[in-house]
Amino acid sequence: MKELVATDNNTSEQHEEMAGGGDPKWQKDAADQNFDYMFKLLIIGNSSVGKTSFLFRYADDSFTSAFVSTVGIDFKVKTVFRHDKRVKLQIWDTAGQERYRTITTAYYRGAMGFILMYDITNEESFNSVQDWVTQIKTYSWDNAQVILVGNKCDMEEERVVSAERGRQLAEQLGVEFYETSAKENINVKAVFERLVDIICDKMSESLDSEPAMLAGGARGQRLTEQPQGNSTPNCNC
Amino acid sequence: MEINNGKYCKIFSKMNEEIDEYDIYHQDFTTVSEWEVFIARIEEILNEWRLAKTKIVRYPTVSKKWISKSEEFSFQGINFKLSYHALEPVSNEESTEDSDGKTIFQELQNGIWDATSHFMDEDDGSPFPVSIWFGLKRYLMFCPEIPLVDGSIIKVVMSSVNIAFANVNCGVPFFVKIREHWQHNYLGFYEDNEYKTSFDVINLKRISNQCSHLTGLVSLFKSKISSPVALDAVMVSAKFSYELKDSEAFAWRKVTHSNEFLSVDGFDVKKLIELPFGSERNPVASILLNAIWPRFRESTIVDSSTFSDIDPLMAPVWKVTLKFRENIACQLSETISKVMNLLENTALIMDTLGLSRSLGIVNPLHKITEAPITISKLVKAAIGQSSNTSEFKGPLPDDLLMPLLYYVFPDAVEDDTFNYPKQLEVEFKSDTNENKLCNYVKTSPESGLVWRLSVTAARLHDAGGLPYLAHFWYEFVQELQYRWEHKIQVPGVAGGAPNARTCLLHQKLQLLNCCIQRVDSSTNQGGNSSDDEFYDCSDDDGTDDLPPWDKPVGRLHRLDNATLKNGAPLYVPQTQDPAPKTEDQLEEDAELMVRLGDDARASELRARMMSASLLSDMEAFKAANPGAELCDFVQWYSPRDWLPDEGGKLGARMLLPGNPWAETWSVSRPVPAARQRRLFDETREAEQVLHFLRSRTVSAVAELLLPAILRVAAAKCHEEGAPRGSVSVGGVDKRRTFEVAAREIYDAEREVCKCLCVRTVFGDGAEGEPLDVAGRSRVLSAAGGALPLPARKEFTLRVKDSVAPQTMRAALSTDMTIIGVFTERIVCL
Repeated sequence: MKELVATDNNTSEQHEEMAGGGDPKWQKDAADQNFDYMFKLLIIGNSSVGKTSFLFRYADDSFTSAFVSTVGIDFKVKTVFRHDKRVKLQIWDTAGQERYRTITTAYYRGAMGFILMYDITNEESFNSVQDWVTQIKTYSWDNAQVILVGNKCDMEEERVVSAERGRQLAEQLGVEFYETSAKENINVKAVFERLVDIICDKMSESLDSEPAMLAGGARGQRLTEQPQGNSTPNCNC
Repeated sequence: MEINNGKYCKIFSKMNEEIDEYDIYHQDFTTVSEWEVFIARIEEILNEWRLAKTKIVRYPTVSKKWISKSEEFSFQGINFKLSYHALEPVSNEESTEDSDGKTIFQELQNGIWDATSHFMDEDDGSPFPVSIWFGLKRYLMFCPEIPLVDGSIIKVVMSSVNIAFANVNCGVPFFVKIREHWQHNYLGFYEDNEYKTSFDVINLKRISNQCSHLTGLVSLFKSKISSPVALDAVMVSAKFSYELKDSEAFAWRKVTHSNEFLSVDGFDVKKLIELPFGSERNPVASILLNAIWPRFRESTIVDSSTFSDIDPLMAPVWKVTLKFRENIACQLSETISKVMNLLENTALIMDTLGLSRSLGIVNPLHKITEAPITISKLVKAAIGQSSNTSEFKGPLPDDLLMPLLYYVFPDAVEDDTFNYPKQLEVEFKSDTNENKLCNYVKTSPESGLVWRLSVTAARLHDAGGLPYLAHFWYEFVQELQYRWEHKIQVPGVAGGAPNARTCLLHQKLQLLNCCIQRVDSSTNQGGNSSDDEFYDCSDDDGTDDLPPWDKPVGRLHRLDNATLKNGAPLYVPQTQDPAPKTEDQLEEDAELMVRLGDDARASELRARMMSASLLSDMEAFKAANPGAELCDFVQWYSPRDWLPDEGGKLGARMLLPGNPWAETWSVSRPVPAARQRRLFDETREAEQVLHFLRSRTVSAVAELLLPAILRVAAAKCHEEGAPRGSVSVGGVDKRRTFEVAAREIYDAEREVCKCLCVRTVFGDGAEGEPLDVAGRSRVLSAAGGALPLPARKEFTLRVKDSVAPQTMRAALSTDMTIIGVFTERIVCL
């Protein structure tokens, strides 16, 4: 906090304004003001495709072959640097079981990005991708960004979903695609970084195309804590 | 000379600084007097700007944008600014034609002639009117800082610029601004070896007698032309302008008495729903009618000081310009902005009525058990019971209030005029309504209860201010309270659990309906619940001989052919549905989870919090499948954690020590869903909804009502012909979204008003085009059949004699401007 005097001014102002009538989702913990932006991300997909492992690999850089099956919903926080700005990622990990659908979809709203995961060794999890996309469309914002991830690519012998099929599906859905391994730490960081980039791009794009929002946009922008006038194509976040 | 020596040195030293090779070559070091320095300075600048006839760069095509450059210097203590103005070339491609005196002269004369087909009051965007008056594409302007009034100084300046012009052989007409600054008085000239063209301007505060009519102007014109003019050779155009101030007849809609619905006698809900739209006052400030005679010979029309046969009704062309008021106050915008203003009011809405204390809003828990008024007004009205004396009397009279409540709750009366549609459609943002105004504002079913309530509230607020709105809100919540107590569904609300894509008020009503429905079905079930359970278990799978405490209860259906580890068929139990929640509750939940932090302990705590529904499901499963093990449950609940070996085995994840699945399993007892503690406490939830609505601040009530108000208003704008919107809002900040949306409505309404005015006046034609016959008679009848005296008259006189075109134009309004361009042959004797 000491190093970021300028930012702190900015954020404390933001805090006051938010207290007035903003959306609590974007309200920061008073104790934790060490960031310039906060993105809420969600990891979704069928049960046991490796969502929790993926998140632990990214957030703690650890891997355990078996995590307890997530009950309902949980989250982890990771702060990253993007173009000299601290971006706090609030990453929600969801239970994949059918019975938890209603509970987890309630958290879709306000998420800026989704990591939709399937298991390359499990055909059913791949076949469910379309269902998950429908869930996102129904419950999330219009602007939420999605990345399709085929996890467990270290288990080549048990693979049943080819990388090509994953790519095709992603193309068809109009989203980006990665094959990853939480165990071998393949592409885990890349997925999160790419998602953050896409969200930043989208944000600056919508600022460019919405002069009305820019005009008095202080409030709108502070929601995502983007400094005013920051509408360069390569968002400085 | 000596007095000015210092200044001279300054100028000289300045010149020295700017000397380049070219200047050194041409510098005349014999220049000594200030006057000569002055001329030399002008020459220097003209050369620097390359404006000599042989150097000037001409472009084949020019845009309509003016570009300028300027230099400042002083002479005899007066600061001057010399500026050059030219139309910007479209491309840098230079004209292939050589620049010489002849072509430049020809171009200039063509421009002068062409300019006579325009009128003097048009605007071409140039900083000085000389370009539109004389049809110039480029000109030089010499402006003194203080007005040049004295004749001798004007003469000195004019001869200086004349000398400089001739020395440089300048190819651009040169103007000097003279007289007072408010006067548009410019003296201009252009010459080459053969001809001299002078541009004259007279600008007087009063109209001289001779110049007030066409005949006088024609004789003035002829006297200025040095060469002889043929008889009746002068061509005239004229424009008479009439300002029609009383433009009420053009108001596109008469004032609607927007609060008419308040009159009890003629109460008509239709008047209420019909949102006021459009400007209350005529948006047109004035109409300017121009009667134009494009071209006639001087003898055709007589217009002298004693007689005139100029009749505007006979003018070949009529053109109309509308002038709109600065601030067009529109009724719908007004209604909305009044509600928007409420967003600043942080008082409790019930305080407006002085009810907060009696409603126990200060102490909500106390209140819930003893509602001050439990009988709905609607019911009381229906059974004709006279109102309780102690009952709250709001500002709205009953005979106005009742029809409004019946409109919002039409199921309370037998008359089905205002029943809600059976199928309530919610129109979400999609491709079909991509560009609709305000489509980013959360909606609720069109013409559903929230729409009706919001519109009524906005109209009441518009008519009677906050007390009306508050009273209506109070009655609304009372009715909901009554419905909750009597288990009557709220009409006009989409079915099912709260839909987070609809507005919060709608979600709250959905939740209330969920509560009413659950209480209803559980009391219905409650009567024969024991039968149910025992009936349920008397399946034909040989469980009849089991002792009652071990009998399976609450089975839904078999899970395919799955069996328990002990070989018995696996049954999916009846389970409790997850608690329906509104978005604000979900946000609260999420907030709570976030506050726990993200360490392992917090994670465990969250898992425990989330285990309530897991426990419920496990207990229901145990009840439906006596003797089941965790792996049987997992086979149904999380099949990927179940391995089929040896009749069923837990996957690795479920075997981890201390995992919440195993822990929860170990504490769960076989209890069917019907007998479990409810995950969803409908009484608590319903009371919370009612308390939520009752305890809002004025600002929060406005936030609940605005989404529907804005969407209804947007629909109204489209209905009235507003074009599609282009704003899309991605943020989540409610206040900001409302502001953007309200602004969109304000703009749309104003534009629609203007558009309709334009259409009323012009019919299918556009502004600026000549009116058709119908248009002319519309305008004439609006003016009362006769036109007033013209506010401005303009005449253009032109003739082409043996030398060049000669033109003179006069604009007569309260003041008089006469401009003339006369060209003569330079005769050297």
